[in-house]
Amino acid sequence: MGFYGDRKLTAEEAKKLRETDIGPPYFRDFLPPVIKKNYGQWKEHDILSAGLMVHTAESGDKIWTIRVATPRLIATDTVREACDIADKYCDGHLRWTSRNNIEFLVSDEKKVEPIQKELKERGFLMGGIGYRISNVVHTQGWVHCHGAATDASGLVKSMMDELAEYFTTKELPNKLRLAVACCPNMCGAVHCSDIAVVAIHTTVPIIDHDKLGKICEIPTSIASCPTKAISPYPEKKSVKIKDEKCMYCGNCFTVCPAFDPFDTERDGCAIVIGGKVNCLRTNTKFARLVVPFISNRPPRWPKVVAIIKHIIELYAKHARKHERVGEWVDRIGWERFFKLSGITFTYQCIDDFTFMRDTFRNASTFKW
Amino acid sequence: MKKYETPLLDELEKGPFPSFVKEIKKAAAKNIMANDELGQVEYSYKTNRVYWKHGGIVGVLGYGGGIIGRYSMLPEMFPEVKFFHTVRVNQPSGWFYTTEVLRELMDICDKYGSGICNFHGSTGDIIFLGTTTENLEPIFAELTSHEKPRHLRFDLGGSGSALRTPSACNGPARCEWANYDTLEACHQITHEFQDEIHRPAFNYKFKFKFAGCACDCVASIARADCSVIGTWKGPILIDQDAVKWHEKKGMDIDREIVRMCPTECISYDGKELKIDNDECNRCMHCITRLHKALKPSGERGATICIGNKAPIVIGTIISHVIIPFMKLEPPFTEFKELARKMWDWWDEHSKPRERIGEVIEFQGMRSFLEAIGVEPIPQMIKEPRRDPFIFFKDEDIARVKEVEEEEKRTGKIIF
Amino acid sequence: MEKEELKDKIYALVLAAKGKKKLKERDVINGVSEGTGVDKDTVKQTMREMIDVGRLMYSYAGGASSVEIPDEAYLREKGMIK
Ligand code: SF4
Ligand code: SF4
Repeated sequence: MGFYGDRKLTAEEAKKLRETDIGPPYFRDFLPPVIKKNYGQWKEHDILSAGLMVHTAESGDKIWTIRVATPRLIATDTVREACDIADKYCDGHLRWTSRNNIEFLVSDEKKVEPIQKELKERGFLMGGIGYRISNVVHTQGWVHCHGAATDASGLVKSMMDELAEYFTTKELPNKLRLAVACCPNMCGAVHCSDIAVVAIHTTVPIIDHDKLGKICEIPTSIASCPTKAISPYPEKKSVKIKDEKCMYCGNCFTVCPAFDPFDTERDGCAIVIGGKVNCLRTNTKFARLVVPFISNRPPRWPKVVAIIKHIIELYAKHARKHERVGEWVDRIGWERFFKLSGITFTYQCIDDFTFMRDTFRNASTFKW
Repeated sequence: MKKYETPLLDELEKGPFPSFVKEIKKAAAKNIMANDELGQVEYSYKTNRVYWKHGGIVGVLGYGGGIIGRYSMLPEMFPEVKFFHTVRVNQPSGWFYTTEVLRELMDICDKYGSGICNFHGSTGDIIFLGTTTENLEPIFAELTSHEKPRHLRFDLGGSGSALRTPSACNGPARCEWANYDTLEACHQITHEFQDEIHRPAFNYKFKFKFAGCACDCVASIARADCSVIGTWKGPILIDQDAVKWHEKKGMDIDREIVRMCPTECISYDGKELKIDNDECNRCMHCITRLHKALKPSGERGATICIGNKAPIVIGTIISHVIIPFMKLEPPFTEFKELARKMWDWWDEHSKPRERIGEVIEFQGMRSFLEAIGVEPIPQMIKEPRRDPFIFFKDEDIARVKEVEEEEKRTGKIIF
Repeated sequence: MEKEELKDKIYALVLAAKGKKKLKERDVINGVSEGTGVDKDTVKQTMREMIDVGRLMYSYAGGASSVEIPDEAYLREKGMIK
């Protein structure tokens, strides 16, 4: 078990063994032989099913990739199980995608069927390749983040249970990329996803004045606020917040823990749609707000899931082939999207932050 | 070991998609930290709020990053997660592994941690979720020990106001579209800047991501302060027979390719597909759809973009093009120099917690471009400015006057 | 300048800022380099030696990293004092 076995190293031993700044190991040491041989010489690939593709090199060599979903959070024993499978079928080689999927790399065609069979028997979910929903990029949430306004893993699980067939089989007009961020810091690619959930606060942070004076710098606390809602409060050697100016971003909390933005009744989720990362056909797009607030309803967040599913079904029905969600909405217009979806348009959908001017309409050309 | 009732989380064991609850429970069956993690997450589900404390100072000796301090707010209820620090382990380029190294990592994670990890964190690192302060040095020693063979030795990734762990798409290892060696670039840049990763010297975080083409499979443009996106300069090569193959497979070439090309530079008469390569903007749409028939050719390199960041403080920014084309070949000298110049400028002009994209907005793009030694060309922008509030330096006016002098001499107007 | 003297200068700068201003690594390097005329690389190298033995440490709070003087708990955990 491990290079040093079961025994924990003592502090003394650790001091002697450690070495700084060695950097990551060399990736080439981990590539399957067929990849090493055909590195940079790939000719084409074919998607054979939702969970299987094959890459062919100029030399004629092939490598099959079988993709399975993981919840990102993974127990060591599950990684070992994946290792057992990779030892059996992939000569001990596997990789992860940028979206938390495992890819088993098979260089022997005879093993392609059997590994799929075994993965299925063991309960791994294969899919995510092609014009489908891939795994969901998400943040730590209640599992491990101090700033989470909701849980991320639970939302992902709830959404993907409903949408699993778009991972395993069903095709869409183009790829569909989902993301969940558990606070307005938006770690992860929420702002450029086709559909994403971002957790938000909706109450002005409460300040613990004793704590603030002791542990935080007052100028830094004041400077942290994007809307200049925070000002000095000399009587308390602290600061105060002008309620009307606060949009609950929580940046003051990030800078100083004496601000408390959490509210068990009023923290919740917003839904944004229409972002994309790549530049195929149209340039990178930002996702736009369509639903400003849905109360947190663990463990399944039924309303969030229902709205997302509804939008995906609309997209599947109305978009042209190769259109991403944002390209589809751009073509039909946002007014048409709100009509088609039946989603209530509110003041919150109108931008009042730094980029608002770019979002207003300047023409009488719209649909009813 | 204490047994927690988890009726809410149990709900999330049901359904077809892989369940994080099953994973936590799998770890909790043999690890007391994972068990208390399970208890605390259930309590969050029950009460609708988070119970992790704000940060805390922990790390390994000599480093200012790689470990995130994490403490439970409820240590009486969940004593085993009183300390539950994150360890970020720098992944190999492209997330390729052998089972041998994964087993080694998992053994370390089990021995000192909760037996729960993330493959991978948002920035790309392998994450060991949850360990105690006194285990940090032993974990670090086990990861980096000079007694181990090199391929089993890992280092910590970045955190705090530092260069964060760079990451890359799978590039030439398994993709026909990679325009430069994303994996090698990521590896060499990571090694070049170990000090910047481990010893936070910046005013805020800085991320590199390496994508091989405009498909941008690592979302570099939306997730990195410096996004390096592969591109090419030559014509798109066409295999006419393969075009026919796609057509036979049911593709409507006119509707799906010709009419969807954003620059309207493709034509098809039923026999021959033609591309006016001078007008192509290299969006990759046709290449990814007619993947058997089309491929880029000629000079390869990358477009360097800068400035992406999440919404706080001034709103979301995606990276802007600063160098439309740069050759990217080992040892990546030009790129490394560029990075250093960018950081020097950023450091000089920023306050704490200002990302480089924000500072470019405050200081103006010119100041930045001059600092990195880049002349303006139209490929950098979407459109020119729309206001008449223009900064001039004396030398700018002098240059215009010079040109006007020349015009007077030659009688020819210079545009 | 002797190395020990330079170390003392670095330490003094961090100590003077304690509780007033969080200094990041580059602030210390720039400050000491300006004050002493020693080049930045040397200051950086020297500071690194101090951090490696626990005379200084990196800290992280309020979303930003800084250089600080370690407290006893840190030194004990690192085996620097008994
Ligand atoms: S939550 Fe955001 S807007 Fe409100 S006071 Fe804090 S920093 Fe300002
Ligand atoms: S790469 Fe894009 S712009 Fe160029 S020909 Fe193809 S579809 Fe048109």
